[in-house]
Amino acid sequence: MKNAPRDTNKNRNHTDSAETSLKGTFTSVLIIAVFMLISWFSVFILFLERN
Amino acid sequence: MAHINEAPILHKGVAVNDAAASGITSRDIRLSAANLSIAFIAIMVGGIAGLLQGLVRSGFLELPSWISYYALLTAHGVMFILVLTSFFSIGYLYAGTSRVLGGLADKTIAFGWAGFALMSVGTVMAAFFILTGNANVLYTFYTPMQAHPWFYVGLALIVVGILLNCVGMFITYQSWRKRNPGKLTPLFAFFANAVFVLWVFASLFIAVFVVGMVIPWAFGWVPTIDPMMGRTLFWAFGHTLVNIWMLTAISAWYVSMPKIIGGKVFSDSLARVAVVILVVANVPGGFHHQILDPGLSVELKFLHVIQTFMIIFPSLMTAFAMLATMERAGRAKGVRSLLGWWKTLPWSDARFFALIVAMFAFIPAGLGGIINASNQINQVVHNSIWVTGHLHLTVGTTVMLTFFGISYWLIPYLSGRRMTQTINRLAVIQTIVWAGGMLLMSGAMHINGLLGSPRRTANTTYNGSSAAADWAMYETLMAMGGVILVIGMALLLYIWAQLAFFAPKGDADFPIGEDYSPSDASPLFMDRWSIWVALATVSIAIAYVIPLIDFASGTNPGSPPFLMP
Repeated sequence: MKNAPRDTNKNRNHTDSAETSLKGTFTSVLIIAVFMLISWFSVFILFLERN
Repeated sequence: MAHINEAPILHKGVAVNDAAASGITSRDIRLSAANLSIAFIAIMVGGIAGLLQGLVRSGFLELPSWISYYALLTAHGVMFILVLTSFFSIGYLYAGTSRVLGGLADKTIAFGWAGFALMSVGTVMAAFFILTGNANVLYTFYTPMQAHPWFYVGLALIVVGILLNCVGMFITYQSWRKRNPGKLTPLFAFFANAVFVLWVFASLFIAVFVVGMVIPWAFGWVPTIDPMMGRTLFWAFGHTLVNIWMLTAISAWYVSMPKIIGGKVFSDSLARVAVVILVVANVPGGFHHQILDPGLSVELKFLHVIQTFMIIFPSLMTAFAMLATMERAGRAKGVRSLLGWWKTLPWSDARFFALIVAMFAFIPAGLGGIINASNQINQVVHNSIWVTGHLHLTVGTTVMLTFFGISYWLIPYLSGRRMTQTINRLAVIQTIVWAGGMLLMSGAMHINGLLGSPRRTANTTYNGSSAAADWAMYETLMAMGGVILVIGMALLLYIWAQLAFFAPKGDADFPIGEDYSPSDASPLFMDRWSIWVALATVSIAIAYVIPLIDFASGTNPGSPPFLMP
């Protein structure tokens, strides 16, 4: 039982970090960023080709 | 009707308590409802005009001789872009402010009704001259094209009416701050105040243009007008108007969406910083509409591109904050997988569904804005129908769907009725129909723009040009999108009528999200609008002083009017 409080803290920290995780947000914004970069450069290439 | 306080007892020098703040007085309801009813009419007139001009452009319809394609195009633009958006914004922001600040002040009601009256008279005047063919100048009314002088007087009345509404909002906002020293204003009220601050900046530019330049010229008191000066003043207004819509729309994303999904506001500080950047940096963004104009040096254009790009930051902050809000709501429900929280969102709730589809539309809409504002690649899309497609993604989809989503709680909140499951299902269908129609129409416009098809033109084959022949298929798709959108409009009007007059009585709430963490509250100086207005003035001065002095002191002889048949 000596280790019990430490385990509880560990569990709580684990739960807190799971609840506040923003890994999904990070992944989602990266997907948006890739879409924006590809689209912008597509039009930029069109600009270069037409000049 | 328990949420309606019959007597206007608020604003008597007492602190607002939560119970009072959860209700709305009947006089506040009347003011918001009046504004929304004009928005209702505007969407009908503007929508029908939009469908007809879309069918003409694609060659499916020939108009009778008594009405011009350009009259319909002008009606579509003015009714949607100026009338619908402004009346809806005012009705919504007044109702929400009343909700969070415990009622509108007496003087706000007076200014609100005076503003409403002027805007309504101005709208009727403008609509009359447009529909009688005396104002075929499109919603941008570029000079030296000239309309009937009283059309411009109508526009001026709308602007003055909006300014009166600004005064009304500032009175309630400052009155609350005085009665609550040491307290931060609620986030919704902060958004509402920001929108009206932007309205003031926008209105001042357009007032100088319309009252100071166009009206004397249209009445023949001065012979010529400087088109460059006109374009500059117009776009200082026009681009600010875009962000007035956006700021109004994202107020619902930041404040109401978290409550609807069972989550909390991700960050009060982040939201307020995004608002402040939009207010401070917005107006100079107007110059990217003039990126190919003569009379502006390359150095000035470079400065304006940088200033325009500053507006990208709050948009990206908003994208992050919305995703973070939704992820945390999902995590709080026990989701552990990387993207599993997307499944926990209330997709069948029309209030959320309309908002999330609007947010998805904002991704390509914002991207299109970056392309338009980029100095070189603007040349690929400039004055092409790509720009029209962009506008239909920003205001037509992102802003409109957000306004529709807002109306699904705002109208029941004002009418003392509730959204039934049947109406909710219909509203979800309406969102799909509207988004589908816009995707088809706006997508075709974007592609056609890249192929070189110009904007603002009636149907023409360009003397049988083969390049123009390539545009025909996309113009057909545009017309099909327009037909689908009119079905979406009819559904919307039916839903609005149901929610206003026929749905069962109930206590609908105006959803206001709570902060994720109390420790996240912004510092009090965020409420000191004198700082942000001063910074915005500096930002405007950096952008505008040199070109306006150049135009005013130059040798431009000005232009006589060109009357548009």
